[in-house]
Amino acid sequence: MDYEVLMPQFSDTMEKGKIVRWLKKEGDYVERGEVIAEIEAEKAVMELQSFKKGMIKRIVAQEGQEVEVGKPIAIMELGERVQEVKVSEAPPPQSTKVEEKKPPEVKPQVIEKKIELPPGFASPYARLLAKEKGLELQELQKEGTIPSPAHAKDIENYLKERYFTPKALELLKDYEIDAGELIKEFPQTKIDEDLLLSYVEKMGIPKKIPVSSVQKSLIANLSKSFLAPHYHIHEVFDLSLIPWDKEITLTHWLIKIVGDAMQHFERLRAIYREDYYLIYPSSNVGLAIAVGDELYAPVIKEVNKKGLREIAQEVRKLREKSEKGALSPEDIGGATLTISNLGMFGIRSFDAIIPYGQVCIIAVGAQDQEGKAHINFTFDHRVVNGFHAALFVKHLKEKVLDKNYIKMLKKGS
Amino acid sequence: MLYREALNLALDYAMEHDQRVVVLGEDVGFYGGNYKVTDGLYVKYGPKRVIDTPIAENSIVGTAIGMALMGLRPVAEIMTANFSMLAMDQIVNQMAKLRYMSGGKLILPLVVRMPQGVAKQLAAQHSQSLEHLYASVPGIYVMCASDSITAFHALLYAIKMDDPVIFLEHVLLYGMDFPFEYLEGFDPFRARVLKEGKDITVVSYLKMVHDVLQACSWLEEKDGISCEVIDLVSLRPIDFETIYKSVKKTKRLAVVYEAPKTLGLGTEVSARVAEELFYFLDAPPLRIAGEEVPIPYNRKLELLAIPTSERIYHQLLSWSKNHGL
Repeated sequence: MDYEVLMPQFSDTMEKGKIVRWLKKEGDYVERGEVIAEIEAEKAVMELQSFKKGMIKRIVAQEGQEVEVGKPIAIMELGERVQEVKVSEAPPPQSTKVEEKKPPEVKPQVIEKKIELPPGFASPYARLLAKEKGLELQELQKEGTIPSPAHAKDIENYLKERYFTPKALELLKDYEIDAGELIKEFPQTKIDEDLLLSYVEKMGIPKKIPVSSVQKSLIANLSKSFLAPHYHIHEVFDLSLIPWDKEITLTHWLIKIVGDAMQHFERLRAIYREDYYLIYPSSNVGLAIAVGDELYAPVIKEVNKKGLREIAQEVRKLREKSEKGALSPEDIGGATLTISNLGMFGIRSFDAIIPYGQVCIIAVGAQDQEGKAHINFTFDHRVVNGFHAALFVKHLKEKVLDKNYIKMLKKGS
Repeated sequence: MLYREALNLALDYAMEHDQRVVVLGEDVGFYGGNYKVTDGLYVKYGPKRVIDTPIAENSIVGTAIGMALMGLRPVAEIMTANFSMLAMDQIVNQMAKLRYMSGGKLILPLVVRMPQGVAKQLAAQHSQSLEHLYASVPGIYVMCASDSITAFHALLYAIKMDDPVIFLEHVLLYGMDFPFEYLEGFDPFRARVLKEGKDITVVSYLKMVHDVLQACSWLEEKDGISCEVIDLVSLRPIDFETIYKSVKKTKRLAVVYEAPKTLGLGTEVSARVAEELFYFLDAPPLRIAGEEVPIPYNRKLELLAIPTSERIYHQLLSWSKNHGL
């Protein structure tokens, strides 16, 4: 019996996953629970375990390919291990779709029988190119610098090597510049890195940097969450009573205080679906962490049940994982509220976009000399209305000035 | 939308909007067509506009020519292109000549539809591709459709034309499902660039287009060779402008067709490109086509007689490696 292995949905917002690596190949037998592939979704790499036992008949999605959730990535033949792989003789079913087929294997002899001719032969276009560039094609072919028959690529490669240093060649690719153009611009000179860069500056040519898959999912989610109807509340908080230090930073304190406050406001622990809200029992707080060019928002779960020290440790662990790119789906899913702190850079006040699927983001600015800080709240109006939001902000304002509460938290840590 | 449904939609639309459009052919009426292309039309428009004919292909086309001359806009169906050989006299000697020989006084708004190509074990007499025969006759237009979008738009366009059109379909395409959308200002005389690329221009039409797209995606994935895929909608006249433009960019041409290589339509395409763009070519034009045999009945031999996506891939790859790519 054939069984389709489908792209699983690892998280609520996951729409497609990328096959990072197949750990099994076609014809391999797998047990139930055995890891068959590694899949990258959103920001994490996860292992895909087999739900069934059987033989992998066909791999539909190749490594590096992105597949939508619920679409087949492999086909298994269920059953016990068999010694010989049976080749089914039955004609393929009359499917109405063009079937996804596996790329055929390249036979090595195909490439071996390359045509070779004595010097002097070239494709019409190669001849045209050589003439244009003033090359003595036949001489170069006699030397063995250019093969015979010569093709456009041979001429281009020859010109590149003659006119460019290896570093400049690399830059050529980065900026997607046509080598011919440059040769025309600087005839009779070897083009090195500096010359090329000065040309780039003069012409204002942009450098092309590919968008990583992590950034892609971030961008897609950001655009979606920006479309959610949202509004801002801006307040100045007196944080002078919070005794933060290097060990337990202001961010850790805020995670804890906000997490506790969320217990009193169920809408801040909610996730919005078309027809209902999902209210989580505990406070799961996300934290925006920047690593290089990437932005991650791992989650500190059950903040209300944890002490400050515990939270600080967890944040440190999550940061390490983010740096290694090793966040698991558990690490990034389940938050309903995220905190972003740019205070350490001296930013007085800023405004943030709610992560997709969540209801609130808190943007924390720098503390002034009196210990006051501007804090911007962005709420999803579909879940939290202005009244709820005002009560929540008021509650927080009171909490940060509640000496007993602060003392209790400090003790607890 | 299924390919056959798109054709049906075009016929239905034309019949609804123009009383002069009639359909005729073997089993097109009560039975709904051998490949169910005219399904439902008999019930909707009645036996006067959806006409079952005797098994006599020459008469079908002859009757349709008469109808067209007297002011109707007939769409004749020949059950397969193989049987259209019986109608060659009417097609080549009458249909293709009347407008010219009357000095343009007679108009001939006539479409002759026929499926062709290798299906699954229909044997030599039912598996031929004969587009090159019709595409070599001045006086008629030859169109073909590779998916539902072209099927609908090109057939509708052909029915609206005042000139005779041979409209070719592929047996294997009928049951295939393609995305569909209505296009404003569709021009069948413009070839479609289905995929842009920079290394090889691959020209194809009808069912081979899909095998070409598959082969080209492998080439791109595995070998980093990028192909520009051009789908011809009109086979007479051929849109050489689009082909030349692409070849000027890629410097390489391959043509893929199902009919035997000798004197096939791809022969014309590669000859023209060699004539017009000789100095732009970085490799000799390549034809990937059927073998020089009647199509065998045996399934394995049948598949060996025509290009498959695997074979197209291998041939494109070894050809490009042999010629400096």
